[in-house]
Amino acid sequence: MEVVLDVKGLSKQYKKGVYASENVTFQVNKGEIFALIGPNGAGKTTTIRMISTLLKATEGDAVVDGHSIITEPEKVRECITYLPDEAGAYKTMKGVEYLRFMAGIYAKSKSDIEEFVKRGSEISELGDRLNDKISNYSRGMQRRLLLARAIMSKPALAILDEPTSGLDIINALEIRRMIKKLAAEGMSFLLSSHNMLEIEYVSDRVGIISKGHLLEVGSAPELVEKYGVKNLEEVFEKVVTVR
Amino acid sequence: MKFSILLRKELKEMLSVTTIATMFLMVFILIFAGKAMSKAVDDVKKDATTITICDKDKTDFTKMMLDVMEKMDEMEVKRVEVNSDDYAKELKDSDYKNVVIIPKGFTEQVEKHEIAKVIFAQRMSSIATFSNISTGSKVALEMLQKGIKSTIYAKSSLNEATIKQLEDPIKLEEFTVVSDKQDQVASSTVSSIMQSQAMLIPIIMFLLIMYSSQMIMGAISTEKLDKTLETLLSAPVSRLSVISAKMLSAAIVAALQAAVYMFGMNKMMEGITGGMTDDKNTEEILKNLGLTMSVGDYLLVGAQMFMTILIVLSISIILGALAKDAKSAQTLQLPIMLLAMVPYFVTMFIDVKTASPVIKYVTMAIPFTHSFIANQNVMFGDYTTYFIGLAYQFVLLCVCMFLALRIFMSDRIFTLTLGGGKKKKGGLFGKKQTSYEDE
Repeated sequence: MEVVLDVKGLSKQYKKGVYASENVTFQVNKGEIFALIGPNGAGKTTTIRMISTLLKATEGDAVVDGHSIITEPEKVRECITYLPDEAGAYKTMKGVEYLRFMAGIYAKSKSDIEEFVKRGSEISELGDRLNDKISNYSRGMQRRLLLARAIMSKPALAILDEPTSGLDIINALEIRRMIKKLAAEGMSFLLSSHNMLEIEYVSDRVGIISKGHLLEVGSAPELVEKYGVKNLEEVFEKVVTVR
Repeated sequence: MKFSILLRKELKEMLSVTTIATMFLMVFILIFAGKAMSKAVDDVKKDATTITICDKDKTDFTKMMLDVMEKMDEMEVKRVEVNSDDYAKELKDSDYKNVVIIPKGFTEQVEKHEIAKVIFAQRMSSIATFSNISTGSKVALEMLQKGIKSTIYAKSSLNEATIKQLEDPIKLEEFTVVSDKQDQVASSTVSSIMQSQAMLIPIIMFLLIMYSSQMIMGAISTEKLDKTLETLLSAPVSRLSVISAKMLSAAIVAALQAAVYMFGMNKMMEGITGGMTDDKNTEEILKNLGLTMSVGDYLLVGAQMFMTILIVLSISIILGALAKDAKSAQTLQLPIMLLAMVPYFVTMFIDVKTASPVIKYVTMAIPFTHSFIANQNVMFGDYTTYFIGLAYQFVLLCVCMFLALRIFMSDRIFTLTLGGGKKKKGGLFGKKQTSYEDE
């Protein structure tokens, strides 16, 4: 199976002896949805930010679509898109202007821009509201726009930090369905969430992270069976308590 | 291509409809203020050439004296009646701002060769500069003295030539020297022309500093807090392009705003200064004294202004990166405002170069000061001070730019905040930081 993301012993040390993330190792395959789960402050965002080339890793490496985040961060950025937790968009822009602006950053040609904007408009399902200022969008509409932005350029790996946080049930369900559909089409996803039930539904495999350490990796059914519990929440409780 | 996309986006954000509307409104207000001041100046001029006199003595001597004063053509003499000693009531009931009262017994005192007494009452209705300008007591006194002298001379047996000599025994020919050039003009006149023109430079500099700082700090802190910066910096675009686009657009918009405000200020100043120098053309005076600026001089002043803007932008990037919320972003502009206010006020009131050593070195240590005095240095040919200032600004720019880029190109752009972090040890240079998010 083709590996899109290969994380090898990735660590981030902010001050001597204090690791936000330590020796994290996992892989994400093509068309796979991999989720990092853990409580607030577990090290999910730090790990994701290192893979997104926003933070420099203290130790280890991650290879995205054949490119190292340490030696080829520019190449990595061409293969990924990143949607931060609770991210906003430029309020003075209209929805379509935002898609066009971001398309211009990712596109290699003018025809790419048009193609990305068309796809982004379709994915967002915002219709005529794309011509409205983003400042007039609801939280759900803004999140859909941002998700469309993250996906429209068909990256090898889409990194989504808490993709449904703060959304109502309907919007959250739509976004989960969209992620599953795109993964089926071959796009890989690295998600982070502290919502275990959501992850159990949407992801192919999960990595449980706590206090900067990746403690367990596997599919939700595998882990539930391994620990002899009912759901991922109970797996998480057992893993964190035992370690 | 990507840089132009970023630049367009930054310009569009910074040059919003509100910003453009504010600029036009400001220009409209300044032009309106200029027209209002122009009218005030005209009124002041009229008031300053009118003397209101109440003759309570009513003798042949005082009548003759007032006739002589009227014939002098220096002032318009307005004869009025004041019926009581309650000047507050009298001036309130009338429409004149002041009155000179020649009391009963005035002629008698003059004839006895005693010091004659006159009364001057002035009404103050506001603390506004223009509202209180009128013929002052000193001018009134001079006019009366002239009137008395002329009347006494006219009654005497002196011949016309002697009378003329006694009235105007000396004629002052005043010269002003600047470097190796001179012109027959009072230094106070030159000073007043220079002040009215030089007033614009500090105002424009101050506006430029505040606007460019506000724009770049807003751009950085908003992007950081909205996490649009994370989105942008994880995209295939270099951090240097992102920061350069922000800095360039802030500089362009700041320069545009300065130009628009300069136009408005110029219109306003025209209203105030128009017609202040009556006997000689302002431009000619400045040209004769070498106080005009050549294209090269303008370039030198512009270079130092641009240097200040770059320093402001670099400092603002650092401060913008420290913001933990919208409120702190505004508060963080305070150091820049203070640094701009010191040279603004100091250069307005004193010559920094001849000030006491403490004031001189403290003010000169502020990099913006050199741009505030750039036009003076160039006009008076003090190129040594100019180039020392430019070199100092360049060194500081390198330091500030190095720090700003170091923050922007590193993790610190995401981890650094002021006052809201978990740890306070360490600084910008060390491995420790003020705070971090460690999810």
